[in-house]
Amino acid sequence: MSLDLFGLMWLGTGYLSLLFLCATAVDRGWLPQRLVRHPAVHTLALGVYASAWAIHGSLEFASRYGFGYLAYYLGVAGAFLLASVLLVPIQRLTRTHQLSSLADLFAFRFRSRWVGTLMTVVSLLAVLPLLALQIQTMGEAIHRLSGSASPSLLALGFSLLIALFAMLFGARHLDQHARHDGLLVAIALESVVKLVAMLALGGIALFSVFNGPADLQSWLDGAGHVHQTRMAQLDAGQWRTLLLLFFAAAFLMPHMFHVTFAEPLDRRTLLQSSWALPLFLLLMALPIPLIIWASQRLGVDEAGTGAAYLAFQLSSAGWVQGLAFIAGLAAASGTMIIISLALSGMVLNHMVLVAHPPIAQPDLYGWLRWLRRGLIAAVIVAGWLFYRLVGVYHDLSALGLASFVGIAQCLPGMLALLYWPGANRKGMVSGLSVGVVIWLAGLWVPLLTSYQGLVLLPPGFAALAGDPAWYSVALVSLAANILTFILVSLATPTSTGERAAAEACSVDAVVRPMRLPLAAANGAEFKQRLSPALGQDVASREVDRALEALAISPLEARPYALRRLRDRIQANLSGLMGPSVAQDIVDRCLPYQHDGPVASEDIHFVENRLEAYRSRLTGLARELDSLRRYHRRTLTRLPVGLCAFGEDGELLMWNDALASLSGISGDAVLGAHRDTLPSPWGELLGEILATPQERLYKKPVRLARGEHFLTLHRAGLQGEQGEDGGHVILVEDHSDMKWLEDELIHATRLASIGQLATGVAHEIGNPVTGISSLAQNLRHDSDDPATRETAEQIQSLTDRISQIVGSLVGFAHGGRHVTGGDLARTEMKTVIDEALHLIRLARSGDAIDYVTHCGAEHAVLGDAQRLQQVMINLLSNARDASEAGARVIIEAEAQAPHLHLSITDQGSGIDPAVRDHLFEPFTTTKPAGEGTGLGLPLVYSIIAEHNGHIDIESPPAGRASGTRIHLWLPLYRDCDESPHEPDPDR
Amino acid sequence: MYVYRIMLFLVFGGYLLSPLLMSGWANPEMAWYRPFLIWAGLIALTLWLEKKRKLDERR
Repeated sequence: MSLDLFGLMWLGTGYLSLLFLCATAVDRGWLPQRLVRHPAVHTLALGVYASAWAIHGSLEFASRYGFGYLAYYLGVAGAFLLASVLLVPIQRLTRTHQLSSLADLFAFRFRSRWVGTLMTVVSLLAVLPLLALQIQTMGEAIHRLSGSASPSLLALGFSLLIALFAMLFGARHLDQHARHDGLLVAIALESVVKLVAMLALGGIALFSVFNGPADLQSWLDGAGHVHQTRMAQLDAGQWRTLLLLFFAAAFLMPHMFHVTFAEPLDRRTLLQSSWALPLFLLLMALPIPLIIWASQRLGVDEAGTGAAYLAFQLSSAGWVQGLAFIAGLAAASGTMIIISLALSGMVLNHMVLVAHPPIAQPDLYGWLRWLRRGLIAAVIVAGWLFYRLVGVYHDLSALGLASFVGIAQCLPGMLALLYWPGANRKGMVSGLSVGVVIWLAGLWVPLLTSYQGLVLLPPGFAALAGDPAWYSVALVSLAANILTFILVSLATPTSTGERAAAEACSVDAVVRPMRLPLAAANGAEFKQRLSPALGQDVASREVDRALEALAISPLEARPYALRRLRDRIQANLSGLMGPSVAQDIVDRCLPYQHDGPVASEDIHFVENRLEAYRSRLTGLARELDSLRRYHRRTLTRLPVGLCAFGEDGELLMWNDALASLSGISGDAVLGAHRDTLPSPWGELLGEILATPQERLYKKPVRLARGEHFLTLHRAGLQGEQGEDGGHVILVEDHSDMKWLEDELIHATRLASIGQLATGVAHEIGNPVTGISSLAQNLRHDSDDPATRETAEQIQSLTDRISQIVGSLVGFAHGGRHVTGGDLARTEMKTVIDEALHLIRLARSGDAIDYVTHCGAEHAVLGDAQRLQQVMINLLSNARDASEAGARVIIEAEAQAPHLHLSITDQGSGIDPAVRDHLFEPFTTTKPAGEGTGLGLPLVYSIIAEHNGHIDIESPPAGRASGTRIHLWLPLYRDCDESPHEPDPDR
Repeated sequence: MYVYRIMLFLVFGGYLLSPLLMSGWANPEMAWYRPFLIWAGLIALTLWLEKKRKLDERR
């Protein structure tokens, strides 16, 4: 022996210390996060599958069955090749519901804590032989290399070191879904170590024992051929059964389930591992035949159990033997660490916490942490005891295959969980029980005794009588398991809860949660209600953690948000203490109100899920989803406000137009009850839902942007059977229309006054004419100068009355449309004077000084009345913009073929942002209620009808303030004389 | 999703035909590394399908 006991102890302890150092370096942040979180780390951690079986078990198996040993690698490679259809759905389930073990998953799907307990017991029984295998390889390696008489005690020492590592770095976070970076990096390092060691051993075999591949091939064709022909061959059935067993182990073995699903591995990395893990396993498997052939050439071929340790015989050099020892230790320790972590979690959640629920535990987190650590140690010690009592008498193949056949009993349940919603608990438990009993009797119990296993071969299976026990037991137990499972599931009823869980687990189903109101109204009440079960501190921390994860406020009262909060708390508690206990606590403390309206599907949640799963939809489902998205987009982008309520008053839709009108985003209100919507929407929508009419017309509502007039339409959303399905409400903003209606009424009233004014003018005209005639007569008839002066004054005043009445009549007739036939020579001076005259009638116009520079020669081709309206509007604006005592200048200048008129005021000017829109209707610079916003558009329209144009200059060139309006109207030419009679009203 | 079906077909096809791999151990006419070459080819195919799947999902 080249290595003494001390050297081996130093090597083993040194290697395990390296693991401690590596994990500590990661947890203390000494290594860069980029490296620690690299996808390759997680893929390498999946290499934990390559346990001591991959080193020693494969050598033993290959020495008996040749390439049959490849089944161990190809089985798991096949499972990872199907990552997208097999592993990703399991990962989605475990992630969504925070399920960290096979027992959690089965307990969730089959809605029973006892199912979880049963799965834990089965996993524990199945894994014990595998744990014993790991420890046996360590003990046997020590014994063979050092000749130690008590290898089992040394193996115990190594096992306790491994347990200490798992307790320190694997139970750091109580949430079993938290990422254990230190642990993962250490396991990845172990994968690298065993891979490098195996490749080195293969290299030694190929290049040291043989002189390269050509020498090896010639040896195989020559002297080595005899060795190969002596080897037994697996028949096709045995090979396929082995493939199936190792395929199942890839995701059912607790350590593989833990690394693949409990550690937060992202989906992309999992899919990447579909080729990366098989590549790793290919490299691990490649040296196995090389080592065997090299040892055969060296003449150290050992039959039976000795074949497992052929790597130690490759060379007498200490470093080569040390390399082989480290390869085995790395493989065994990684598997033991993860198995102990996975099993401790299962035992804690499904045995300890079920038997002793943590009701109001004073220090729940601390209690759980120490319980977990104790269980980790207990699992490793149980493995060592199994090795001491049983394992030592059996070869690696017997131990390993007993383990793999045992765990394969969970395969029917797992496949049904994913692909058969009709499966039920009774069927699964019956099938599993039958399969496990056959397995225990045929393979597991014989490990404990020296008796042959009891292999019960039913009629039709007699051909298996001469085959190895593992093969017969695997086939019979799995067949009985599947048959019983199917028959019992078909023959017995399935509970509602199980059916709902089955839909949640089924690969093709989207979870369809129901909308039920919760008894708790907000986050504070959640804490209060959870306190009796979890203690005040833990309840508060768990609720805060869930609120933070969902990014919702503690005061959030939307039923939708509260349901998500409840789900999140249940998922978090599930990660802490398993789904059974978590569900029990949440159901008890945070119950739904079942006395409300009948629950219906949570459409908003379903839509979110569909969006998330879109990439998984194909064919018809994808087409239907595209159609759904189109209709959804149509409703969302509808330029009219739209919202929809469920029959329980919960808001299900709030489109963009309504969000824009209300200033409230959909995310803030979706899922809220209509009574809790912000004012005035809660009251308004409540009114339309409560009223028997299906329409509310022009309801005045005060919103942030002022008063609006909203018209609401409501329609029922009856289901296919006529049942109530809630309501959809259209919200139209009729504010502009209402304003136009008011303006129309006002204009109509003004038109009436105009007509009245015409009549009054006619009636006043006669007496005024009489008064004027009488005054004229008086002036002629009287010689008294005072009387003549009085008569002249009376005549002057009656002229003024006539002029005022004439102006009023003229303005009243000014609203009609201009046609070419109405255009005539119009002196602008007269038009301006009359406009000023009318403006001065208003008291506010008195203080303005109007200066007119326009002569009688400035005549245009136009409609005098319409142009008078133009001047009134423009001069009124100039007056309104001017301070008292300011001056408004009106200038005219002939610029053939136009007359250029300008009106300049000394007001404050016009904001440039408004200036460009002044000719658009409803644009005004005046205070609310004073300006209509129609004056300038009317001016623009009249000027355009005259083939003129208008421009605004503000401030005018060379001035700091004020506004100048420029008008260009066609100059009158003699040839423009209209054949029509002049307007009789003029 | 169509890529998934190809993978399913590949795995089950491989499962049925895989016993042929074992016959090579004692067969002097076959190179000892041929099973590993086939396996490596399968890995390369998976890698290619994985890239196809990414493109498929991106669409």
